[in-house]
Amino acid sequence: MERLIQLPRLVWDSIFRHPLPETDLGRATTSFNNFFLHLHPVKVHRNTLRPAYTLGLGLISLFLFIMLVVSGVLLMFYYVPSTAQAYDRMLDLRGTVAFGTFLRNMHRWAAHGMVALVFFHMCRVFFTGAYKAPREFNWVIGVGLFLLTLLASFTGYLLPWDQLAFWAITVGTSIAGYAPVVGQDVRFLLLGDHAVGQEALLRFYVLHVVVLPVVITLLVTIHFWRIRKDGGLSRPEEPEPTATTLPVGTRYGLMGFVRGPLTKSGNVPDNAVFSWPNLLIAELFVFVLTVAGVLAVSLLFNAPLEEPVNVMHPPNPAKAPWYFLGLQEMVSYSAFWGGVGIPTLEVLLLLLIPYLDRRTEGVGRWFAKERLLANSLFLLFSVINIILIAIGTFFRGPNWTFVTPW
Amino acid sequence: MKIALAIASSIVLIIHGIVFYSQSSHGWMQHQEAYIAEAQNKATNDAERNELASRRPRLEQIIATQFGEPRVDRCVSCHVAVDDPRFVGHAQPLRAHPYSKELGDSYENGRWERRHKFTDFGCTVCHDGQGRGLDSFYAHGEDRYWPEPLIGYVAQAEWNEKYRQPLRGKDYMEANCAQCHASGDSVSMPHLERGRRLFFEKNCYGCHRIDDLSEGALGPDLSEVGKKWKLDYLWESLVDPRANTPVSFMPKFNLRDDEVKSLVIFLKSRRGTNPAQTSLQRYRARAGRSAAAGQAPVLQADLPEDPVARGEVLVRDRACAACHKLGNQDGGIAPDLSFEGLMKDTQWISDHFRDPRRLVPDSIMPSFRFSEPEFDAMTLYLTSLRTPPALGDSAEIYRTLCARCHGANGDGTGPVALYLDPAPRDLTKAGFMNSKDPARFVRSILDGVPGTAMPGWKGVLGQEQAQAVLDYVWSSFVREPRRDAKKRSVPETNPVVSTAESIARGKQIFVQRCTGCHGLKADGKGPNSIDILPRPRNLRNGPFINATDDRRLLESILYGVQGTAMPPWIDYGLTANDAGDLLNFIRSFQTRR
Repeated sequence: MERLIQLPRLVWDSIFRHPLPETDLGRATTSFNNFFLHLHPVKVHRNTLRPAYTLGLGLISLFLFIMLVVSGVLLMFYYVPSTAQAYDRMLDLRGTVAFGTFLRNMHRWAAHGMVALVFFHMCRVFFTGAYKAPREFNWVIGVGLFLLTLLASFTGYLLPWDQLAFWAITVGTSIAGYAPVVGQDVRFLLLGDHAVGQEALLRFYVLHVVVLPVVITLLVTIHFWRIRKDGGLSRPEEPEPTATTLPVGTRYGLMGFVRGPLTKSGNVPDNAVFSWPNLLIAELFVFVLTVAGVLAVSLLFNAPLEEPVNVMHPPNPAKAPWYFLGLQEMVSYSAFWGGVGIPTLEVLLLLLIPYLDRRTEGVGRWFAKERLLANSLFLLFSVINIILIAIGTFFRGPNWTFVTPW
Repeated sequence: MKIALAIASSIVLIIHGIVFYSQSSHGWMQHQEAYIAEAQNKATNDAERNELASRRPRLEQIIATQFGEPRVDRCVSCHVAVDDPRFVGHAQPLRAHPYSKELGDSYENGRWERRHKFTDFGCTVCHDGQGRGLDSFYAHGEDRYWPEPLIGYVAQAEWNEKYRQPLRGKDYMEANCAQCHASGDSVSMPHLERGRRLFFEKNCYGCHRIDDLSEGALGPDLSEVGKKWKLDYLWESLVDPRANTPVSFMPKFNLRDDEVKSLVIFLKSRRGTNPAQTSLQRYRARAGRSAAAGQAPVLQADLPEDPVARGEVLVRDRACAACHKLGNQDGGIAPDLSFEGLMKDTQWISDHFRDPRRLVPDSIMPSFRFSEPEFDAMTLYLTSLRTPPALGDSAEIYRTLCARCHGANGDGTGPVALYLDPAPRDLTKAGFMNSKDPARFVRSILDGVPGTAMPGWKGVLGQEQAQAVLDYVWSSFVREPRRDAKKRSVPETNPVVSTAESIARGKQIFVQRCTGCHGLKADGKGPNSIDILPRPRNLRNGPFINATDDRRLLESILYGVQGTAMPPWIDYGLTANDAGDLLNFIRSFQTRR
């Protein structure tokens, strides 16, 4: 009988190796003995936890991605990547499937949100100079993740197979066609045909549900791994801690020789706090906030579903997804420069930034004075792109003429 | 932090609550429960009552597979009583579908038997609407994105308020009957048949093509127009062609509302393939047609032997009067043909019939597809119309002959002016009227202006009458004393010989100076042309350019055309030789052909 009473306790202990930690040692062991928690360092710098420094943007992007995976898997149970059925499946999701509308709303808005949040995260990293050595390559991975996010959103755009999807992808892929020499081949490879049709739908589906999520997951893992290996999040330089010199003749453990910002021997005063519970509660807070935001938007706004595809009847104007409308706006001035030349230069520049801008002053502070030039340039670049997107989204009417939205 | 966390968590919980609650109750469940309760009251025996008592609301759907793509119609989830005769006349959504002999239903042994069984046909094949939807906003197609709202009943939010009312009513369902029932079936579709007749009577066939019906090529193909557009768009396009396509030159036909309605029903029925036909039947029908293809449909079967009488039947049958005025019939869109024999010779009429744009390059008259003998018969008939119009004083002459194009006020906005290109001259512009020699106006009246809609009136007007009309125009519209035209030094003939070099020079000057208004193609459609009235001249108008002498064209280039946007280029440094080069360039369009 006594054994029976102990059973729940046994089960609990078999899952969680440690009771809730009371001591610093306990907090440390909890972090690295738990599968999920061991992604975190045992201790994090106080600066990492300042909401005003990170704004939680990277974390929100991650949570949005997780929500997208979960809602996406649920949507996959109902979706058929066939031109004959896809639209009907959308109608079924809206009409008969339990929580269908809500699921679709969540997926749609989280996807748009992720595109925006990843971009904002990139801005944050730039404006705090966080891409400086030793974090250069993590910036490169981040730029890659941004492009993959755009691509994932773009491939998902086609799947409802309505007029909005069909013509947005037709416009979007023809922008790719403007590239010299390989443009048309790239377009053909993407679409599997000369126009958007069944082949394109299947390709976009496979890219959207398998290829891109797997690659993104992989890169996100590397992204996080490197954060830790690069010594945690960037922060302002601080005065050298006054370390007490260890007595000569002491034998050091192996860890004493490991180089790196957080490896210390001896009892050095630092600004680090234990991850449990400080970091975890912050993460939980961001998570709940993200979920609440997505749920609220999904409750208030329904994901659009326009007319079934009519190949003979393009809407006027046919617009690409909003994040490509800046490109489309530029394409309206020059097909090559707007669609291929400038975007390629922009991406190259983004990738090369940490290797071009190597001064280490002003890292870890928002809009540091020392980085006035770099920050102004990046701000200009972002604002121009945002303005172009805004013009393309709100100020372009039939035949791409200028209209006012009011 | 903890308070914020608590608030955010409770938001998450509340939204979950709302979403789960909204999933647990549906409109259709309530309708079904109401049906079950009421059917129990109406039940006649206990067995039926018990069966109903054990029934729980569930999704009902009909999957109709016989009409093209399978249709899933969930309408019966709310309209659960459609086939229950006890609910005839009940309030919606629990009303039974009416039984009617017209629909082919039969009454036998005290029971109605439906011709169109719901289990076979579903609902949307006749009614439209969105079968998969489960709340009325989506199911009835009120959603503006749904292309086929419940026909004749639902007007979508963005439909023009003006056309909403006439677009209501079950008559519009004829458009769906016609998806399976060919005309000539025993099924009566009076509006549709009338629409089909109007399609010919109003001469729509002249410009528009519809598979198996017409071969017009000037306007859009209407074979699948019903698949592409909703009712409101069709209605609007008929009563106001430029509402949706600002550059449309389709005339505003003077249609009554009931005529528009019939045409809309007819057009809505044009959706391409008949879903009730198999592909083999379709192939056979097409193969059988190819023999008769190209033949314009004859409305009246037997034609008289006499060529003039035959021409008359054809002209009236093929609805020339849908645009033209002919006796007491008047389409209000094109010139008066009532005394055409006096105005034009046989050759002109015959050539114009076969290809209107060879004689008037910007005419909107379609090239009709008649056989040669038919063309000849119609030409003969028009030539035979030689009764001169009754004319009185000069004011009456103007009213009878000129006002149709130049307008009652002489400002060039007569009832048919909208459809004429080049537009009729605005006779109130004193600048223009004073800059030309009065003799030239008399010549234009008597001989007409080639390449435009201005005919020569010498068949009905004498020299004095023409002079009198001119005087009338001057006194009533110009209202300025006539000034003598200034003497200008313009060479009588082109001073430059037309050579390749001269044409090249002319082209260069043209590109630099003229394209803003006259356009790169010299067709008068340059970027500035939309803001200019009268419109810049189409310089590719062969009949006009060929009939106009060098002196007049050179004068227009050098000294401008007063009362229009054409400036005097001599003020901008053009010499007579430059103008000669330009003239050679302009004339080269004609010789090059």
